[in-house]
Amino acid sequence: MGLAQNVVFGLVTGSYIAIAAIGFTLIYGIVNMINFAYGEYLTIGAFVGVLSAGMLPLPLPVAALVAMAGGGVASLVLARAFFTPINDTGPVPMLLTSIGLGLALRNLIRLTGGRSARYFDTETATYRFDGLPDLAVGPVDLLGDLFVTSEQLVVVGSAVAVFVVLHAMLTRTDVGIAMRAMGDDESLARVRGIDTQFIRDSVWVVAGVLAGLAGVLIGIQTNVSSSTGFSHILQILAAAILGGAGSPYGAIAGAYVIGLVLALSTAFLPAGMTGISTAVAFFILVVVLLVKPSGIAGQEVREA
Amino acid sequence: MRHDGKEQANRRTFLKFAGAGGLAATAGCLGLGGSGGGGDGPDKIVFGQPAAQTGQWDFLQPGVSQATDAAVKHINDAGGPLDADFEVVRRDTAVKPQEARSVVTQLVENDDALALLGLFSSEINPLFDFLQEQKTPVVTPWPGSNFLDTRGGDHGTPENLDDDEWVWRTVISDTVHTAGAAKRALDQGHSRVGVINGNTEGARSWADGFVNAYEEGGGTVAEQVEVSQGSSSYQSALSRLFEADFDAFAVSIPLEDAITLLGDWADGGYGRQPILSDPLAQDELPKQVGSALDGAWAASPGDAGPSYDTFESEYNSVDGDAEINGWTAPAWDATQVAALAIERAGEASREAVEKNLGPVTRGEGTEVASFEEGKEALADGDEIVYRGAATAATFTNFGNVFGSVTINEANGGSFSTIETIPAEELRQFVSEDEY
Repeated sequence: MGLAQNVVFGLVTGSYIAIAAIGFTLIYGIVNMINFAYGEYLTIGAFVGVLSAGMLPLPLPVAALVAMAGGGVASLVLARAFFTPINDTGPVPMLLTSIGLGLALRNLIRLTGGRSARYFDTETATYRFDGLPDLAVGPVDLLGDLFVTSEQLVVVGSAVAVFVVLHAMLTRTDVGIAMRAMGDDESLARVRGIDTQFIRDSVWVVAGVLAGLAGVLIGIQTNVSSSTGFSHILQILAAAILGGAGSPYGAIAGAYVIGLVLALSTAFLPAGMTGISTAVAFFILVVVLLVKPSGIAGQEVREA
Repeated sequence: MRHDGKEQANRRTFLKFAGAGGLAATAGCLGLGGSGGGGDGPDKIVFGQPAAQTGQWDFLQPGVSQATDAAVKHINDAGGPLDADFEVVRRDTAVKPQEARSVVTQLVENDDALALLGLFSSEINPLFDFLQEQKTPVVTPWPGSNFLDTRGGDHGTPENLDDDEWVWRTVISDTVHTAGAAKRALDQGHSRVGVINGNTEGARSWADGFVNAYEEGGGTVAEQVEVSQGSSSYQSALSRLFEADFDAFAVSIPLEDAITLLGDWADGGYGRQPILSDPLAQDELPKQVGSALDGAWAASPGDAGPSYDTFESEYNSVDGDAEINGWTAPAWDATQVAALAIERAGEASREAVEKNLGPVTRGEGTEVASFEEGKEALADGDEIVYRGAATAATFTNFGNVFGSVTINEANGGSFSTIETIPAEELRQFVSEDEY
């Protein structure tokens, strides 16, 4: 096992963080709020997916689509119920509301979904790449004995598909272009005749769909429980901030940085310190922000 | 209106009775006549049970709850301690110290619990000083932490509460059953091992106990990796661990994380012999990980106490189908021994329980297998020695018990017991003055 294998692990981790972080950062960039309840949207999607696959039972890809729909609906309904009414009160009430909503949702899911972890019934295949040329450089083995599992391929493939669809949406569709316009200047967008409430609703739906997908992808690798989303919200937040809050492309870059740091720090930290890999990821976050306070792809704030 | 002497006397009589009645009613509301006051003949005796009804160890609680409920039923069927109704109030701590602190306060202050039949290492260790301040006996079936090896108990002086540390456990320490795991690993010829453990107190304690015993037995730990629990992937950590050269690897992490970790291990095809911490001997693990786990084994606290059959019979007689695990029989023992302590004391108070926990388990006396037998023997004026279901339940001066260790092996999707290591073979690993 060498550097290349850990890069693979990091790319897989970065992929599901990226999918979730895009949704998180879209909400920040366009609705202008940090939604701490977003982790619970992952949990809702994961539960919808695992219940669809286990109880109905639906094939996993169909269950994932149902989970995405569930995440989108939940996100829109919750936004309409809790965030839209206080939209004009400023970021702090919205932030506090999201924290309260997150707590309420987590406990509601725990009460209704049960306390036991649930598992997707997946058949794992492991693909090995032993025949690749040995490109060892000094003590670092770059490609020897590389492996990847079918679930990991699904995660990375899903992320690539999301990036392509997202890019197409933001650059080729009226809704996507309107989202970017609102993200740049909501007042100007409104003056130009954009239906800002419709765009907000669209953002909530897109973010919820992405959360649902991320929840399923985390679930097929580990399990689904009431803490699924909560245990990942800090990584998602870190990726979004690292990439430049509000920038979907930055969130992708930030997620892969976090994923790679998590994998590589665990692999190469001194013995006995590997348990602090998450702390290392946040240390990297702080270092990057010290150098570039707006994040990797964030726009610089200019003094008037 | 006339005020003759008879009328005045009647009014005084009325006021006396009304006052007495009101005082009695108020006393009831204030708990003055309840179980915590220490008076003779209480109507009700309450124990508290801080429980893992949610959280990462919640899969173990159903068996412990069922054992406790069975013990409550048995004790009430036998007439109850001091002929009072016996009740256990269960509250969820989620195995979080802060919630545990709140739950302990509620049980002691509001529920008037005379003893607490729960708390994990993860809760007891950070709350140890707080628990001392409560002056309420904690008789718990959970904690294996070696932190408690030299803490707790009555220090061999039951009547003197000044040197007491109020924590007793009816499950054997990690020091004992990790010694069993280390002994078996060495017996199997594994002279070098890797260790991967989670970052909570319980997970670390098992790993520390195993490493100490294994190295004392002559083995070498080639690599130890600690991981953050709740991760979506443990492959980087496994990659790190398996760079080292060893024959077998020990895993100490809660069940849900272990399923992910060992699933990653199976997917990666790392091979080598897995040695599991005792909480992992649950059928859910091989069921989720699959056949790659066949042959993996765990050393668990043994259910080899002299009264195991009594426990098992009562356990199966109550509602519920919870799987028996390593903490189930100790939960029965904890309830029995605390109730017997009250019966021997003849009074219902926390101090009385604390003073009598040692005497009902040690020394000379009529050996009893349950509260029912103990109550009868005490009524006859005999001293009693409780012989437990999980172990003999003879408390050491530090409030610990010693017992056998069973080896449970995974095969075909479930665990089965393949070997029992007698307590005597493990005594060499545990110094008497340090346990």
